Amino acid sequence: MENKQSSSPASFIDSTIVPGDVVLDLSSMTNQTIKLGGGLRQDCDVISAMKAGTLRFSKPNKYWIESSQKRYVPCVEDTVLGIVVDSKADNFLIDIKGPTLAFLPVLAFEGGTRRNIPKFELGTLLYLRVVKANFGMNPELSCTDASGKAAEFGPLKDGYMFETSTGLSRKLLSSPTCPVLEALGKKLSFEIAVGLNGRVWVNAASPDTVVVVANAIMNSESLSTAQQIIMVEHLLKNIQ
Amino acid sequence: MEGRLANAWRLTVNDKNFIKTALLSEIRIDGRKPFEYRKISIKFGREDGSSEVQLGQTRVISIVTAQLVQPYRDRPKEGMLSIFTEFSPMADPSFEPGRPGELAVELGRIIDRGLRESRAVDTESLCILAGKFVWAVRIDIHILDNGGNLVDAANIAALASLLTFRRPECSLGGEDGQEVIVHPPEIREPLPLMVHHLPIAITFGFFNNESILLIDPTHNEEAVMNGRMTTTVNANGDICAIQKGGGEGVPQRVIMQCLQLATSKAASITKQIKDAVEAFNTERALRKIKRHPTSTGVDVREKQNQ
Repeated sequence: MENKQSSSPASFIDSTIVPGDVVLDLSSMTNQTIKLGGGLRQDCDVISAMKAGTLRFSKPNKYWIESSQKRYVPCVEDTVLGIVVDSKADNFLIDIKGPTLAFLPVLAFEGGTRRNIPKFELGTLLYLRVVKANFGMNPELSCTDASGKAAEFGPLKDGYMFETSTGLSRKLLSSPTCPVLEALGKKLSFEIAVGLNGRVWVNAASPDTVVVVANAIMNSESLSTAQQIIMVEHLLKNIQ
Repeated sequence: MEGRLANAWRLTVNDKNFIKTALLSEIRIDGRKPFEYRKISIKFGREDGSSEVQLGQTRVISIVTAQLVQPYRDRPKEGMLSIFTEFSPMADPSFEPGRPGELAVELGRIIDRGLRESRAVDTESLCILAGKFVWAVRIDIHILDNGGNLVDAANIAALASLLTFRRPECSLGGEDGQEVIVHPPEIREPLPLMVHHLPIAITFGFFNNESILLIDPTHNEEAVMNGRMTTTVNANGDICAIQKGGGEGVPQRVIMQCLQLATSKAASITKQIKDAVEAFNTERALRKIKRHPTSTGVDVREKQNQ
């Protein structure tokens, strides 16, 4: 027991953390740059947790806390699916399931100038990137990647959008491919866009493919890999 | 204002178009057929007269209570039945606390009309002393989660709680027989209400200029549909009430088709409610057997110690 309590960071990785837990002691790690992701905060010499969840580490030096919620806390460099709520002179107001509405500058498109401002009707679904996400301020979004290219960002046409928890969106984006998507991809052809804010968009040639894919993804949250594959087979049998 | 904008639930243009196009090929977004109901689960609380109904994602609880009051002047021999609805803000971002909105009032009226006009609950049996004391039965319906089709779920909850409600037994006493003695449940077994039949509300949604018909719309479908109609029928085929709101006019043959569908659905839902109430009554009876303390066990041990 005492060996585990000597706070070596390796002991907390992949284990459950609650807010207030001291996760890293910086005094023992000098000359290292550490990147902190969501849910962690620096308090002088220690890193402590602000969210409950599992502590994850990815080489070389990124730590973050993973938890699954229905509400989204905007984080920089996340890709999200937003719905247009209003358009003002300089910004579009976008709903990204966060505590406040987000701003999408009217010029944040590839080759965007004052003369070719796009017109989005209310309720358009957009695939966006979070550029700024400071506490207490409205987040800022963009329809281009860091180098200014369009790169798949922008409005999504047709298809069907549904909401999930943030944990499920992350699972869908993880590599290797999530078992549900793999099992569905073997038999059906469809296109999906996953937002880290808990929104998923599906499009396919026929409506019943879309319905099957949407329901399969929604049901797969709490199932293990084998259960997911069985569930998908069951659903596919019903439509064929 | 911005906080409320951020929290509101929205339907994208993509979803609206998709739901409409999918319906043209008779496909619903949760995989149901157009005339299929979602899974209904009926649960009861510990107290008599409280029930919780889950219809897919929609959750509603209903509590029945009763009080002795003076009857109305023009109806001295009848008891009273009143329905109160509460749309909790946790059910839907658009529900505000405080005064019930239009939807809440309409829901209350539909259920009230179904029960009162069809005389499902016998109000004359609620009279204890004509002109002086009658039972006023109050049904409180709380919406916990709005997944679409609140009317049907609330109706089932109200019926289930009415069937399991027990009112205390009263007898007349006193010097001139004008005093009402209410017996506590431990002394005299409380009595059930007299419910003659179960009026079941079935809601239809109209799409695409009333040419597509759906039963039991979900939240998304409700946001897209043109008009709705709620028919309250019972398992015997009697029509208790019809409420049609919004949308364009509907031809008569569509209404007749809806009524026929509703009658067949009502039969299966009535059976489900009755089975659930049966199971609850059996479990309550078993619980009562255990309620009397078996003092013999304690005595035997005491005697052994002596």
